[in-house]
Amino acid sequence: MNRLDVFKSVLWTLTGLAVATAITRFIFGLGAVSNLSDSTPWGIWKGLSVVPGIALAAGGFVVTAVIYVLKREEFHRYAKVAVLIAFLGYLSAATALVVELGLPWLVWQPVIYWQFHSALFEVSWCVMLYLGVLLLEFLPVPLEETSWFAGLRRFLTKYKLVLVFLGIMISCLHQSSLGTLFLITPEKLHPLWYSALLPIEFLVSAIAVGPLVVILGVLVICYMYRKEADRKTLSKLAYLGFIVIVIYGVIRFVGLAVNGKLPMIFDGSWQSTVFLIEIALVLVIPIVLLGIRKLRYSQAGLAIACFSAVIGLGLNRANIAGVMLQVPGSQYYPTIYEVFVSLGIVAGAIIVFLFCVEHFKIWDVKWKDPRERPEYCPRFDLGSDVWLGSPGVTERVKYSLVFALSFALGFALMPQDRIESKGVEEITVQKARGGDTLFIDGNYDTFGTLFDHARHVDSLGQKESCVKCHHMNVPLDKESGCWECHSSMYTATDIFRHDWHASPNGADIACDVCHEPQQERQKASAKKCRDCHIDLYADNTADIPDTYLAVSYVDAMHILCVNCHRERAVADTTRVALAQCPACHTGPQPDYLKAEMRDELSRPAPNHVMMPPAVLQVKEE
Amino acid sequence: MDAWLEFARGPLFRLSFGVMMLGLLRILLLDLYGAWEAYRRAGDKTLPWGYIIRRTLVWFFPFNKVLKGRPFYSICSILFHIGLILVPVLLFAHIQLWQSGVGISWPALPKPVADWLTISTIVFALALFIGRSFSRMSSFLSRKQDYLWPLLLLLPFVTGYVCANMSVGASTYQVTMLIHILSAELIFVLLPFTKIAHCILLPFSQFVSCVAWRFPADTDDAVCTTLNKKGAPV
Repeated sequence: MNRLDVFKSVLWTLTGLAVATAITRFIFGLGAVSNLSDSTPWGIWKGLSVVPGIALAAGGFVVTAVIYVLKREEFHRYAKVAVLIAFLGYLSAATALVVELGLPWLVWQPVIYWQFHSALFEVSWCVMLYLGVLLLEFLPVPLEETSWFAGLRRFLTKYKLVLVFLGIMISCLHQSSLGTLFLITPEKLHPLWYSALLPIEFLVSAIAVGPLVVILGVLVICYMYRKEADRKTLSKLAYLGFIVIVIYGVIRFVGLAVNGKLPMIFDGSWQSTVFLIEIALVLVIPIVLLGIRKLRYSQAGLAIACFSAVIGLGLNRANIAGVMLQVPGSQYYPTIYEVFVSLGIVAGAIIVFLFCVEHFKIWDVKWKDPRERPEYCPRFDLGSDVWLGSPGVTERVKYSLVFALSFALGFALMPQDRIESKGVEEITVQKARGGDTLFIDGNYDTFGTLFDHARHVDSLGQKESCVKCHHMNVPLDKESGCWECHSSMYTATDIFRHDWHASPNGADIACDVCHEPQQERQKASAKKCRDCHIDLYADNTADIPDTYLAVSYVDAMHILCVNCHRERAVADTTRVALAQCPACHTGPQPDYLKAEMRDELSRPAPNHVMMPPAVLQVKEE
Repeated sequence: MDAWLEFARGPLFRLSFGVMMLGLLRILLLDLYGAWEAYRRAGDKTLPWGYIIRRTLVWFFPFNKVLKGRPFYSICSILFHIGLILVPVLLFAHIQLWQSGVGISWPALPKPVADWLTISTIVFALALFIGRSFSRMSSFLSRKQDYLWPLLLLLPFVTGYVCANMSVGASTYQVTMLIHILSAELIFVLLPFTKIAHCILLPFSQFVSCVAWRFPADTDDAVCTTLNKKGAPV
């Protein structure tokens, strides 16, 4: 088989597995495919796809800066490759982010709703802006193939320089702000990686390795399409990278030395081993190979140096954004499915890259698959011994099959125990505690809301208002509590007890009393409850539901309280806060209830709502 | 046995279902892409849309075949297809599985209707098989898979009917259910790669074959050149 064939088949296989995983993730949620948890919310999707994807995309702005700012015209032929790699790097980072975050239909929200307190707000803006700039920078290349949008293409080509400078600016901002992001994790990130210089380290290392990624891309496609690489220019570009790598090394070690962290490098822990491997990959090997002129000009030396630097930088970002970013006491190992997604996104990006190389003028000419040449003899397919048609058709037929099969395989490999529905845990609701002020806390997990009963009676209209909440009563009762019917915390309950009515130990009523003798015995045709229990509904004139299904306690509270609060908030614009969450969810229970509930405190709290102190302060004001 | 059932219901089902869905999508896209390429190259780009739509509808609802040609065979085939498509998709028990597994559901057929449709599918599949075997014209045109398909399609219907309507012992039930699931999964996997792919290609087949018979723009010249009659009127 052709080497391009094998390579593409592997890529399509990986993509199929990733797509299957991603679909499972969107149907069944993060827990179905990943080991991410509240204590380790950033796993290898961040560490292997998002952060390194962005770092490796730096080639785009570095190479364009070299060409247009430093006026080194000899690199001009690599401009399109660099921009394409940058675009794909950002695109794969964004894709990984969407798979990880979920809710892709809300990506536009940071554009409208500005959250100045969030470190990620700036990051999300940078990603969106730079992705847009890269798209506009690259767009003229595919537009060359068609006569459509010629005006747009001319416009973009004319104002190319503006885009280039925008790209350089936003990129520098974004690379360093990614480093800034990790400044907020001093107690999580291992000291060998944590440094006050992180923003500068991120920027410099991205600038150093960026051109090497472009060189590696060029070398890989030269190998795949059996072309001769222009080693002289590539080596010159690599030399630029070499200089910046040296600067990066100096910054990194000076930072460690100033903070007295140098001894930690050799303390023998597994972190120090990882650190040494990283330093060897990203600093030592590239500096040695690129520093020696003869090695730099050899294809193997260049390839190994670039590959090592790329892997090393990826490892560095993976360490900072994932591996070394751990809460003490929590353990995180990625599942195989997380690896599928990370690899699949890279594979997908490479597929798009190869597609662009084959179909657009990334170089001066399109690099067709060697088999597209007229002198190439048609070959029979290995599996079926038939001629599948011209190479283009063969590719479609083969790779789509590879993708479909690997997708199905990936889908079959999904963990059965994780995607099985286990349903909602049944928690019996208990009576609210307190007197005039009730503490509503159905599952007694100490996280609830304070309810001033007397105040509500006053404001809703004294005795006549009782029915607004106490809409139904247990038979022979006048003031039943919510918990008596809405007796399950998260699930609905059928409040009609058929067995009890029919049983000799219960009401012992004959079937005919409720069901008509001649009719089929069904719920719909039976007598209604209120035909016998005349005082069942507090307000007999109100709408009466057909079913006897009481919604869950949580739903009952929310429907009743929120609807009424919302009406109030609309009617009285000075009290808008009534319709907001902190109106009721004011935090954990007050102190005077604490003593009463001390024995309950040891119980786990599976599902509580707490407002951060900032919100509570706003409310008090 | 439980483990086998679990395996057949879980990973094996997802594998076969994935192969079927993506396989069908793949076949459809390749088909349409091929047609589009042929259309792009065609010299004569006018397509008889009215004719294509009419032919598509005729083949979609082949009632006219009932009136002329082979009425018995056609009626059997139509009724067989109705049950074959409706029962697996609209059976209440199947929808329940979707509901509990992924949380989606749709209206179901009433049980008596589903039962009768199952029986009719079984009967008409047998009728089609017998018809194919004993009609000389049909058996002349048939390949091995044409005989095997009605029999394979019978398997899940018969076993499903047994599981749903007959009181059998627990172990018999499990074996029957296993055969039911496995045979259905075999059908899923084979579906995109055999003639049954017509389930997704049929709506476009008239369009595709119409486009495929448009020759590339300079075909006539090429033919004349090949025949050493360059410039001759075509």
